[in-house]
Amino acid sequence: MTEETVLREDQQEIELEPVGAVKAEGQSVRVTRRTFLSGLGATGLMVTAPLAASASATTANGAAAATAGKTHVVLKVNGEEHDLGMLDSRATLLDTLRERLYLTGTKKGCDHGQCGACTVHVDGRRVNSCLTLAAMAAGKDVTTIEGLGIPTRMHPMQAAFVEHDAYQCGYCTSGQIMSAVALMKEPIGESDGEIKEAMAGNICRCGAYPNILAAVKQVRGQMKNS
Amino acid sequence: MTVSTTGTAPETMTGATAEAAGAAASQHGIIGRPVARIDGPLKTTGTAEYAGDFHLPWMAFAVPVQATVGKGTIRSLDVTAAEAVPGVLAVLHRGNMERLYRAVPNDPNATVSETRPAFEDDRIYYWGQYVALVVAESLEQATAAAAVVKAEYAAETPEVSRELEPFAGKWNTVSTRGTVDAAFAAAAVKVDQTYGTPAETHNPIELHATVAVWDGDRVTFYESTQGVVNHRNAMAQILGVPRENVTVVTKFLGSGFGGKLFPWPHCALAAVASRKLQRPVKLVVTRTMMFSNVGHRPVTEQRFRIGASADGKLVALRQDALNHTSLVDSFDEGCGEATGYLYSVPNLTVASALVGRNVGSPMAMRGPGAVPGLFAMESAMDELAVALKMDPVELRLKNDATVDESNGRKFSSRHLRECLETGSAKFGWKQRTPQVGSMRRDGKVLGWGMAAASWGAYRFACATTVDLNADGKARVRCATQDVGTGLYTIFAQVLAEKTGLPFERIEVLLGDSSMPEGPLSGGSWSTATVLPAVAEAADGAIASLLSIAASTPGTPLAGADAKTLRMTEGRVHRATESAGLPSAGVPFEAVLQAARLNGVSADGRSGSVFEDPKARDLSMHSFGAQFAEVEWEPEIARLRVSRVVTVIDAGRIINPRAGANQIRGAVVMGVGMALLEETVYDRRNGQPINGNLADYLMATSADAPEIDVTFLDYPDFALNSYGARGIGEIGLAGVAPAIASAVYHATGVRVRKLPIRIEDLMQA
Amino acid sequence: MQSFSFSKAQTVDEATGLGGRYIGGGTTLVDLMKLDVETPKTLVDVTGLPLAAVEKLPDGGLRIGALVRNSDLAFDPTVKAEYAVLSEALLSGASAQLRNMATTGGNLLQRTRCPYFRDTSYTNCNKRNPGSGCAAMDGHNRMMAILGTSEDCIATHPSDMAVAMTALEATVHVQGAKGKREIAIGEFYKLPGTTPNVENALEPGELITHVTLPTPRRGSKQVYLKLRDRASYEFALASAAVVAETSGGHVRYVRVALGGVGTRPWRAHEAEAALVGKPATAEHFRAAAEAALKGAKPQTENGFKVELAKRCMTRALTMATA
Repeated sequence: MTEETVLREDQQEIELEPVGAVKAEGQSVRVTRRTFLSGLGATGLMVTAPLAASASATTANGAAAATAGKTHVVLKVNGEEHDLGMLDSRATLLDTLRERLYLTGTKKGCDHGQCGACTVHVDGRRVNSCLTLAAMAAGKDVTTIEGLGIPTRMHPMQAAFVEHDAYQCGYCTSGQIMSAVALMKEPIGESDGEIKEAMAGNICRCGAYPNILAAVKQVRGQMKNS
Repeated sequence: MTVSTTGTAPETMTGATAEAAGAAASQHGIIGRPVARIDGPLKTTGTAEYAGDFHLPWMAFAVPVQATVGKGTIRSLDVTAAEAVPGVLAVLHRGNMERLYRAVPNDPNATVSETRPAFEDDRIYYWGQYVALVVAESLEQATAAAAVVKAEYAAETPEVSRELEPFAGKWNTVSTRGTVDAAFAAAAVKVDQTYGTPAETHNPIELHATVAVWDGDRVTFYESTQGVVNHRNAMAQILGVPRENVTVVTKFLGSGFGGKLFPWPHCALAAVASRKLQRPVKLVVTRTMMFSNVGHRPVTEQRFRIGASADGKLVALRQDALNHTSLVDSFDEGCGEATGYLYSVPNLTVASALVGRNVGSPMAMRGPGAVPGLFAMESAMDELAVALKMDPVELRLKNDATVDESNGRKFSSRHLRECLETGSAKFGWKQRTPQVGSMRRDGKVLGWGMAAASWGAYRFACATTVDLNADGKARVRCATQDVGTGLYTIFAQVLAEKTGLPFERIEVLLGDSSMPEGPLSGGSWSTATVLPAVAEAADGAIASLLSIAASTPGTPLAGADAKTLRMTEGRVHRATESAGLPSAGVPFEAVLQAARLNGVSADGRSGSVFEDPKARDLSMHSFGAQFAEVEWEPEIARLRVSRVVTVIDAGRIINPRAGANQIRGAVVMGVGMALLEETVYDRRNGQPINGNLADYLMATSADAPEIDVTFLDYPDFALNSYGARGIGEIGLAGVAPAIASAVYHATGVRVRKLPIRIEDLMQA
Repeated sequence: MQSFSFSKAQTVDEATGLGGRYIGGGTTLVDLMKLDVETPKTLVDVTGLPLAAVEKLPDGGLRIGALVRNSDLAFDPTVKAEYAVLSEALLSGASAQLRNMATTGGNLLQRTRCPYFRDTSYTNCNKRNPGSGCAAMDGHNRMMAILGTSEDCIATHPSDMAVAMTALEATVHVQGAKGKREIAIGEFYKLPGTTPNVENALEPGELITHVTLPTPRRGSKQVYLKLRDRASYEFALASAAVVAETSGGHVRYVRVALGGVGTRPWRAHEAEAALVGKPATAEHFRAAAEAALKGAKPQTENGFKVELAKRCMTRALTMATA
């Protein structure tokens, strides 16, 4: 999940005990003690070893074995399989990503499909992860914002968002970008109005919509020209 | 003189920027340049960490239980079912929780949003008030357990009515001059109307979140706050621990709009649960709680009386403004914020009063006071223009003020006239025909309206530290926080300007209360506040570096008079050498290495504008003009805002790219304020009945009009050496009244009570 | 959300044999489970069933599998070309993300947005607790229904898709323990009456397998018009689905259904009767709209919906006959 293993001075290694998941060997997280920001940026907390050490117990669909209130779930996120063991069946994909896989780029804004902050791709299509049960995403390809690009190697849409200042606080941004990337493959029209309508499921309280529109249009233009 | 931006065309600043050069030399030109924000790569990759993103080992999850009555007393609380839910670690409530103290009243450095700590007594003051807290191993378990806590209440009928009149309480005179009532009575043309704005909910998309973790008697909060220092101070008082034992970290904030200025009761609850369980605890409030427990813009009801001569000169202006507040706090919205100085009028009175309601405590929301106040005043001005048969722009121009008539002070910098004229030209206002419904395009009726805008300019105390390090990096530290608008980048721009280093070699560390104390993020004062402090710290660190360069043997600069040395593009060199040449001098880190130093540091401080002799006798405000176009289809009662032209006079804009984005965003919020937003309280139990994002409507991308932003560029050096004021609030001011006036122009319906709804327009 | 056991079915028979609540896209069910309005003990994931196809039928009609996602249905070439009202209705609903999740069968069973239904702290909801009363009647009722209401319930049916399907006279096909049966969409939704807890004609355990649409009427024009406060991502205040055929300036065939105003997708039979054979003029459209809304019973805050629905319908008829 991360490229470097050397800790900076302001980080410490601590043992990780994920709740509700089988503990994999050698898990650790790095916790940053201070706010740190540079032009390239730095992450404060990363999982330094894959959470899923073993995927031996997977079933065909990844979620067939069920007991009272729990389901064995293996999630494939950003190309990597994560065996969550016997997972609480109530766990949404959003809470599982955030609280168990520590992929916190996906945000919770309303928890009811009313804001779009939690947008991820499931089998290439954008969905609200807050209304998706993790057990129902098992066996499918889940892509989150972390799977698109990293600060030093951004996806063209991420780069376009930076260039056009297509965010302010950044909280809804992951969802906006996941929507924008998915939109590229959807059969919608060319006009600004059609793009705005297609992006209407992602609320930005900071109101960066004009800049988001500009970013989306730029990447659409690039794709057409390439 | 001006540079405008539509969409995301590259912004540049020209004209008066040159005036600024003398005061704050920007040899690298990075101040005022539309640079990309440095946190972009983190925010667009999901790497930026917000409070709720923090994870700690053995962390437990807390979910509050909310009261389901709006007034009454808790008769009984049965937590047995909740405690029996697998994974539940504790159910805290008044009967078993350790004591929470109140924060010291009126301590300006330890302000809280809601005076009453959670569970302090058995009374219920508003719907949704916390009555218990469930902590469990997982979020799912805690949520399920919270749902089975059984509370019984002796319920009473709450008072939540949006109607604030009739009001029989005591009025407070905010501002007065002349004899307003007599002047109004004698005026040739009058407007006497009452305007209302609803309860609005801040609704940042980031939910308020607290992760609290104790280490012995020390506690750390990973917190969503607009003020890490204030939060630390308040938490120390509430938890009864020394201030030094509390650390508050806010690396990124998913915006706040005022709602996250000060702590709310849930913050201390998370800490208490964490202390009891000796485990880190995460508490993220739900969207429903965002409507009841973490503030809102209060309902306002404002009677405006404006009298003018027949030729449109104001002779009397009276504002009587009510706002609702909670029963545990007295929150004054301050609707008269802009009334006293915006126009020239000899007779004026502004009075205000509070009306208690069974609602959670209100809290400042973007442009508090001025935004609802200007909705009322600018709507009344539009009505006056109609009554006078006078162009509304002309009416404003005719009554432009040259001094602040509320206190007789000079304005530090006021260009409202140019805002109005520029906006009028850019909008094409001259083509407007004043008759209702007289303009059409593509089969739709067009309405054009406008309003003036204003917001105060402030600077508060700030300390920062700048380090120049032997690793070749410059670093600045400040216990303030970037609420999402670009403060990280502002710091980086100043440091880049001073040191000549590229952003890659600049580190900005914010959002940690243990760093030098910086300002709250509110009131549009962050930029104006931090700029001088960073500049001073950078100058100090550079002076220290140059002195070391002059006195350190082994560098080519040894023995030079430090006064003859400069730091340019990261290199230390003699002033006589051409800056920027690779041959000129040495890299600054080489100096430090030669001196065997890790680095040099210096502190910088700026003081409050209220203690600044140069500034305190001036009236300092930003100004603006909003021009709005609506499209109206009466056959289907469909109204949409199609175009907004905004002209802002906010001093020098440090980063026009981020600045224009902020103004556009404020206009979008203004569309919501005008047409969509209202928190509706069920009158039977006081519940915000539309407390979710499907029923409380905020503008979507499809609602965003075409927006044209222009910054006038008049640096205000009375406020700071960079001439920057602030832009967080002013973009919202004036948008709603401009739209309401446009709606009148299109439909003939004057809506005086926001939001403007379809049903209001059905009569047209 | 309360605990439940989860299983995944691979065939329709397996699903109907498992005896639990079916879950497709989850956009309504998970939402309501989070509110504890829905508390299934067992959840059966039916998304693996082979019901995700849109197929032309030999008779010229269309068969839509219950698991066809809203977005796929909206963008289906046949639907776009021959059932435009359905495509438009789907695309006017929710958001792109929700449309990617929501299924045809699930959307037919979408439940009301009534805030008093959605909050279990109101014990008085006849839909949730039969016989307990109705908190909405005397509450915030701006979004509530004005047609098909009863003394016991005024909750609005929220779907756009079902409104279009009502105008298209769709048939709902279900399968349960007693076998397969089909239900005309006009019979599928129940008026609240004294039993608002009974929302549709499904028997316990029955699963919607597919929907069929009749052959599109040759020469007809279709329109879906949705009116709301916000430009997008909002439920309707009023909507109208119209399928109309005109010749010689006269209305020969017309089907009208209204959304956002009824306790169920509202077929405007009175309007249709008033229009057939009449000149396709604004006066007749308005008269038809008056007929459709004649029985409207507004509450304290939603009186405007009566006129709004009329304007909506009039405009949709104008567009469909232009």
